Amino acid sequence: MERMASHYRKSGGRWLGSGILRGMGVTLKNWIGSYFDPSRLVTVCYPGERLPLPENSRSFPFLIYDGDDPEAGLRCVACRICEKECPPECIHIENERDENGKPRKRPAVFDIDISVCMSCQICVEVCPFDAIEMDQIYAISTNARFEPLRLHKEQLLKPNEYFRELSPTRSAAADARREAERAKQAKKKEAGKKG
Amino acid sequence: MTEDKQLQDELALYGVHLTLLEQVYNWGRSNSLWPLQFGLACCAIEMIASVTARYDLGRFGSEIFRPSPRQADLMIVSGTVTKKMAPQVVRLYNQMAEPKYVLAMGACAISGGPFKGGYNVVKGIDRYIPVDIFVPGCPPRPEALLNGIIHLQETIRRQKLSGPGKARHADRDQPSEYAIPEEGGRDLVPQYNAETWRPSWQGGGK
Repeated sequence: MERMASHYRKSGGRWLGSGILRGMGVTLKNWIGSYFDPSRLVTVCYPGERLPLPENSRSFPFLIYDGDDPEAGLRCVACRICEKECPPECIHIENERDENGKPRKRPAVFDIDISVCMSCQICVEVCPFDAIEMDQIYAISTNARFEPLRLHKEQLLKPNEYFRELSPTRSAAADARREAERAKQAKKKEAGKKG
Repeated sequence: MTEDKQLQDELALYGVHLTLLEQVYNWGRSNSLWPLQFGLACCAIEMIASVTARYDLGRFGSEIFRPSPRQADLMIVSGTVTKKMAPQVVRLYNQMAEPKYVLAMGACAISGGPFKGGYNVVKGIDRYIPVDIFVPGCPPRPEALLNGIIHLQETIRRQKLSGPGKARHADRDQPSEYAIPEEGGRDLVPQYNAETWRPSWQGGGK
């Protein structure tokens, strides 16, 4: 009895095993409470229901095109800034070339190896044309390591409407930026004509 | 006849259930995948989160993380495999009992990720042990891991136990243990496991 009392004093007024009992108490409270309060059932049954993602949540990059035709509305001009800035070097771009072998301002190959991508968003920040943005898809799993995880241009291309839905704030900012740029270009052209 | 999946589904609508021992075996195996309890880096935090009440990996029969490789079925390689850790990972894989599966979680475990140019990181654990499922992300969300485990369960349910194209663990010719790499001055020796992986200049990387 004396030993137990001394243990009680030493442990700061807590009996041995009282922590376990308190933990079990929380479990019991939640179990019984779940019959009365649905908010105590915290499990989100993943394949059926999904947690809403925050707007700034991001997974892998994708390419934006304007309008309906992915090839005509492609914003990317193959300037390769993202390829150079990518810290894990997971972007691979090759320019389209005309018959003389002169590079055109369009990517013929635009691959992103998502098995290497670290979702840092640096490609998005350095892109001067708002052509690349971060997606929110996460449910990817494959049986092979190389080809299925290397996303090609066709898989990466998504319309601007998709981006508007994904992230209203960021897409509004990007649209405003592009509109301002277009107005500036038009003004310059006009000034050039007058001069 | 019972191997015809479409016919089986059709008969199941009328209350006639046909099955093979193989399917019962695969069903049982796929619903009790006990992972090995070990984590290597930040992906391990997401792996731990996927066992919490919010995501609840236990719904798929994988809630019991075994601390011993002898009792585990699934190795979730969650994080950066450094060259110092790689021998231990291969040793743990060798110690696991068949049938065993490997899930590479996150960019580092698949390819080395941001560290792939470094001197001390293995550029993908598939260089040393055969990986069944790859889950990309940096790190993948807990749902992505759940998705990977569901994918693995589907893969297991399709496995054959006999005949051509049978599962790896049912094939006596396939090894279940691989050489443990050792530190050899410049790099690990061997640099990769030639039984399961080949470099791109020898026709690998596809």
